[in-house]
Amino acid sequence: MRREFERAALPASLQAIRDFVEDACRQAGVEKAAAHGLVLAVDEACANIVEHGYAGRKPGPIGISFDAEAGRIVMTITDRGRAFDPKDAPVPDLHSGWRERRVGGLGWHLVRQFVDEIHYDPDARNGNRLTLVKAIGRSEE
Amino acid sequence: MEILTEQRGPVMVISIVGSVDGMTAPTLTGSFRAQVTGGYIHIVGDFARVEYTSSAGLRALLETVKETRQQGGDLRLAGVQPEVLRVLELSGFTHILKLFPDIESAVASFSA
Repeated sequence: MRREFERAALPASLQAIRDFVEDACRQAGVEKAAAHGLVLAVDEACANIVEHGYAGRKPGPIGISFDAEAGRIVMTITDRGRAFDPKDAPVPDLHSGWRERRVGGLGWHLVRQFVDEIHYDPDARNGNRLTLVKAIGRSEE
Repeated sequence: MEILTEQRGPVMVISIVGSVDGMTAPTLTGSFRAQVTGGYIHIVGDFARVEYTSSAGLRALLETVKETRQQGGDLRLAGVQPEVLRVLELSGFTHILKLFPDIESAVASFSA
């Protein structure tokens, strides 16, 4: 099963993007907790594209593909904004008290909690391409 | 997302209905900030009808916790649903925030 979706990189698109992933997860038989994680991972990645990728530019497209393969879900997110490798996202502080805790910087941390693999392949011609992979037990199997 | 506010004595209860994400979180931050600016530093965030939050919602919460506590108040959460709780736990927010099962116990905690 493969599904594709495209929206403009605008804050107002995030709900539609989450609805798309949730619906695709339902169709693929992904159980609820894993589906929530996938929805959140895609939402965080897209929110970063909206906020930083196209910052100061005209918002371009965000493309999402959802592939249900044997035992795993593969999602790719493409955009033509500024390049950003998730490996460069700083590791957040999860333990200090409220005074020391920095506001923000948790998005990529959450993505890492909910998927098994993150691949980033920028391409000068086709733009940024992020691949998220999650091993999955199908609820209907 | 919809926001409803209700004053209960010195405590302001802010009920959020819907999803908190990159689109709606700034509205939530603004709503919290308006209460603090208006002198309400004892705030209960009613999350019973929030089925989803991204890290954008966490920013709104931490910012408000800092603002209220710096003035001797607090933001406390009520009725957090399982999927939102999971996000709070994974982000280390359950060490920072005080959580209560419902609005009544969260409001009462301010006079304890």
